[in-house]
Parts: sequence; C-alpha cells; structure tokens
Amino acid sequence: MSEASRREVRAGLEPALARLWRYALVLSRARDVADDLVQATCLRAIERADQFVPGTRVDRWLFAILRSIWLNEIRSRRIREGGGFVDAADALTTDGAREIEMNITASAVLRAIDRLPEAQREAVLMVYGEGWSYAEAAAALGAPIGTIMSRLAAARAGLAKLK
Amino acid sequence: MSDDDAELVALIDNELDESRRTALMARLAANERLRQRYDALREAGAPLAASLDELLRQAPLARLRAALPAGELVRPPRRFGGVAVRELAAGIVIGLFAAGLAAWAFGLFGEKEDWRTAVAEYADLYSNDTFAPLKPDHALAAAELSFVGAKVGADLTPENVALPGLRFTTAFMLSHAGHPLGVIAYVDPSGAPVLFCIHANHAPDAPLRSQRRGDLSLASWSRGGRGHLVIGHMPEERAMALAQMLEKRV
Repeated sequence: MSEASRREVRAGLEPALARLWRYALVLSRARDVADDLVQATCLRAIERADQFVPGTRVDRWLFAILRSIWLNEIRSRRIREGGGFVDAADALTTDGAREIEMNITASAVLRAIDRLPEAQREAVLMVYGEGWSYAEAAAALGAPIGTIMSRLAAARAGLAKLK
Repeated sequence: MSDDDAELVALIDNELDESRRTALMARLAANERLRQRYDALREAGAPLAASLDELLRQAPLARLRAALPAGELVRPPRRFGGVAVRELAAGIVIGLFAAGLAAWAFGLFGEKEDWRTAVAEYADLYSNDTFAPLKPDHALAAAELSFVGAKVGADLTPENVALPGLRFTTAFMLSHAGHPLGVIAYVDPSGAPVLFCIHANHAPDAPLRSQRRGDLSLASWSRGGRGHLVIGHMPEERAMALAQMLEKRV
C-alpha cells in the first residue's frame, strides 16, 4: 500500500499545483507566501505519502495539508510574532509591481473577494472555484453545512452591494 | 445580508433538499421583494467561478515545478528479484543491442527501457479528470513548452506539438534516473489523457516502434540522445500515427 500511496501522491502533485497556489493565495493574500505554502505542502505530502490512502482524492488530501500548514504554522507564527499580515489592498489582483492583466469583471470580482474575511474567501474558493458541494466544503473546513451556507450568503451579499 | 440570504443562495447553488426548495419556491412566487433579492444574489455570484479561474492562469507554474522535490518517478521494478539480477539483465540488453538484435522481443528491459515502464505506471493513474480542467491560452502553452524544451534540449512550440483530435493541456518536468523527463499532456474530446514524453537520457538512436502494455498503447523512438514516447489509452495504430507526426517535427 505504501508504494502505491507514494506513486499516487507524486503523480498527483503536478496537476494540482495551480489549484494549490490559488488556494494558498486566497488564504494568505500574498503571492510570496502562496509560493512558499505550495512548496511546503508538496514537501510535506512526499514526507507523509505513506499516510495517503490509495484510490482516494490526492487533490483533496493536498488541500488539507496546505490548510493545516497555513493555519498551524504560517499564519499562527506570523500572529505570534506580532506581525500578522500587511493588509495589502487588492492582493488578488496585483503582483506587487503591476496590475495583472485581466478583464474588468474578473478584476472587480477578485477585488471584492479580496475584501472578504478569510473564512468567507475560503468557502467561496471551495464551492465556486473548486466546484465542491456544501457537504464537501463543510467536511474540508470542519464546519457545519449551515456555516458554509452563511459564509457563502455573506460573500454573495457583499458582492451584490457592489452592483 | 437578510435572514433569507443563506436559503436563497443554497437554492441558487442547488443545495436545498426537496422540501425546503419547494417551500422557498412558493414564497418566491408570492413575494416580489424576495424575488428581487434572489436575482441580486444570483447575479452577484454569476462571475465568481470565471474570476477565480483567472487566478489559476496567474499561478507561477514554472517556479512551482522547479521547486518540486527531485527524485525518481518510481523505484525501478525488481522483476528478477534483485539489483544484481536487474543489472545483469541490463547488461544482456546492451549486448543484444550491440549484436543488432531487438532486446524487447525477449521481454528484457534495461535501464533505458525503465523510463517507459515508469511512465506507463504513471499514465495508468491519470484519469479523464486529471488534465481536462486545464485550458491554457497560447501564451501560457508557449511558455510551458519553451521551459520544458529548454530542459530536454528540444524545440517545442504549441504549433509543432499540436496533434489532430487532441487538445494540449499542460507541459511539465519530471526526472528519471537523473535525466530530465519532459511531459506534454493532451486530452481527447472525452478528456482521456495522451502523453508525449521526452527523456534526455543519452540513449542511442532507435527506430519508431509500438507496443501494448495492459490497456495502454506506446509508440517510442530515440534520436539525438533523447528518448521519445507517445502513450495513452488508444489503439496501437493511433499511437503510432501520432508518434510519426511528432517524429517529423520534434
């Protein structure tokens, strides 16, 4: 089983990179942190590949690892050190030096997502970005389905105000 | 945010059970303000998925791939029970090549052959959902192919790797036995993956040939110190035809 686990994990890393990075960016709102978070996730996944159950979804497993590293290591360390994260405006639509080229609607929507609280951003990413069901998002976030409903409704309500 | 928003959004997302959906639909039919709120929430969420997809296109894939831990694709299979025997088999294969014989006809696979075995094991894990969601624009495709081409020493462009009936999805780097292994992934209209792999393994030139391994068809050749392989769940003749096209261009 461990050989099969290792093979599936290594095979699943490459196709998941872009989606992992998007998740990391939505969580951290910082591109350099997103890069580091994805790298740490890949390393951790390979180290713990024996724990992966063959035949289950590698991408979901990688998302869980990324979230765990974010919550328990990166974000908590920054908060503990008193730095937190700089409240950069429009972190999702700029790369620090230049405006990312994208259409106006996408840019406006991403700015709006950028301003949502982390829990709402995460729910929006999972359900509308990844296409997960409410139940799947609830399981991944360890929250009741009602909480997912509230977060998504709050996010949509926030977006509706911009119209 | 109103008290009804969570239910309205769940209705939009098709997440309400039948009884709650029926009850809410009845309220919507009777309440103009509720209908307006439903429309506002629906419109607000409509561009979310496409907007989030923009972030996928911004992902620094070359940098992320370069940071992936290096290593073997898989451990070399010990078909004959141990390293010494495998090395002996490799020696036999080399000897057979020297004698101008086709080693594969005897079912013995040397080190140069192992990379195809490793790729075949990987390819068997890919499903119709692995690559189908990836839809790079021309600029991203060109950048990925240029990166992979530089690593394996081949000129790769969206034009010269285009194949009829297949859609390019991504190109990325792996390594096997310490040599760069570039992978170009396509999907057919059903989403089934087809891989074109280039292994900069310093292998001697070898003519194009095809074979079946389980449900997979493989067509491979070596030229210019690189091994080439087309692999996928398709008829052997189709793999051969695709390989013939690529052999002329790459």
